[in-house]
Amino acid sequence: MRIGRSELFAYRVLIQVLVVRDLKARYRGSALGFLWTFLNPILLMATYTLIFSVYMRIDMQNYPAFLMTGLLPWLWFSSSLLLGATSVVEGGGLLKKVFFPPQVLPAVTVLTNFANFLFSLPLLVGFLLLFGVRVGWSLVALLPLMLIQLVLTYGLTLIVSAVTVRYRDVAQLLASFLPVWFFLSPVLYPPNLVPPKFAALLTLNLMAPLLMGYQSVLLYNTLPVWTPLGIVAGVAVGAILLGTLVFNRFRWTFAEEV
Amino acid sequence: MLAIEVDGVSKQFRRKTIEPTTTLKTAVVDLLRGRRRESRASAFQALRDISFTIQRGETFGIIGRNGSGKSTLLKLLAGIYRPDAGRIRVRGRVAGLLELGAGFHPEFSGRENIFINGIVLGLSKREVRRRFDSIVGFAELEAFIDEPVRTYSSGMYMRLGFAVAIHTDPDVLLMDEILSVGDEAFQRKCADKLAELKRKDITLVLVSHGLETVAGWCDAVAWLDQGTIRQLGDPQKVIELYRQAVGGQPSEADAMQGPESIGGF
Repeated sequence: MRIGRSELFAYRVLIQVLVVRDLKARYRGSALGFLWTFLNPILLMATYTLIFSVYMRIDMQNYPAFLMTGLLPWLWFSSSLLLGATSVVEGGGLLKKVFFPPQVLPAVTVLTNFANFLFSLPLLVGFLLLFGVRVGWSLVALLPLMLIQLVLTYGLTLIVSAVTVRYRDVAQLLASFLPVWFFLSPVLYPPNLVPPKFAALLTLNLMAPLLMGYQSVLLYNTLPVWTPLGIVAGVAVGAILLGTLVFNRFRWTFAEEV
Repeated sequence: MLAIEVDGVSKQFRRKTIEPTTTLKTAVVDLLRGRRRESRASAFQALRDISFTIQRGETFGIIGRNGSGKSTLLKLLAGIYRPDAGRIRVRGRVAGLLELGAGFHPEFSGRENIFINGIVLGLSKREVRRRFDSIVGFAELEAFIDEPVRTYSSGMYMRLGFAVAIHTDPDVLLMDEILSVGDEAFQRKCADKLAELKRKDITLVLVSHGLETVAGWCDAVAWLDQGTIRQLGDPQKVIELYRQAVGGQPSEADAMQGPESIGGF
């Protein structure tokens, strides 16, 4: 059996068409259009700033800029996983009608959310400039960061989407689990606030090196620390391999079970 | 040359009448309690040891009562299901018209949906572009092609789906009960198009309850009965035996077609 990636490559036009369809569907018929995608993080950022910066008086320079920098990559990750989990189940109608490799469906979800993230990047940079952050050449490091995150997100989404076909409550479990993961990730607070006793929570968190990477690149114009990112990249590749295995194990039951 | 080879194919499904789906919760609870859930999901044998071959350019009909396994067989041929036992070989590009309008999005215009549907059915972008006018013309939707598909009548929707499907230039075309699309004029157009495909040596496999349709179009017919082939061969003969077996009752589609059923279609 061919492995997932080469099949995805063969079906890249289908993926492209479905991603464009999903993006258009999301933005069509809304006056604010694309701004809706940015509205959600803005609201979250405003609320968190109110709570942590005003109510709880966390002393941190440029807190809104810091929040925003972590929030956007996190939202790409979490909404990919959450929507991706049900992607195979919900794409079932199509799977029953025409033959195509089912991993197209989670790939479409992850790429659609990636596209949203890409679209919001210029707005983020504008936002940062507004807050007096000086962005610079280290921006090029965004490319490897996004690539690692893409691989990691796709690998994990492959696994959860296949398992969700069998166990439908996995998507709900994920919906409870993802906020916990969020609060344990350095989005709301800088990693140096985490006491050494709890350092393991950061070390074991696959998203932490990525989020810290975005922060160093976008906020402090320094290159990310590569060693933990290298480990994440390794895990990400492992996640794709495992995801492909799990997926291929289940894929022939999809058309019957969705 | 053989277009399709089906050799000893069987297929069974899990019957899920009691528990529609398992949840992770029940699975974990069962594991903790050391309980093994009786496999209440009994198996349902949809197809049993099916074998036949179809020559290239042949039109092959599949008849049988509801639940006899016709659609399952078609989905196996389309590659959507995989057989539990046996082997299926299909040569060339397969297009399955199992349901029309796969991937249609109601909010999108007819134009956009032609592209999505065409790609889903395996065309390249350039191929869709080249066939676009012909598809729109065939569906007779020139005036509505930029309207969202949700505003289409069901007839318009089916016509668009059929038009795209028929333009995919497959080597093997699988059709499930879709020969009754649109009004009489459109049906005649479909019949002409199918006749043209037949002349081009395209292999057609059609599942239908319309026995007149099958008799008029097919070179060979398989009669499926509870997942096995009851009769195989000459259309007139197989249909006659089938009619006798179902007690002379006219089948649903024939009853609906009425006496003015058009030109064997």
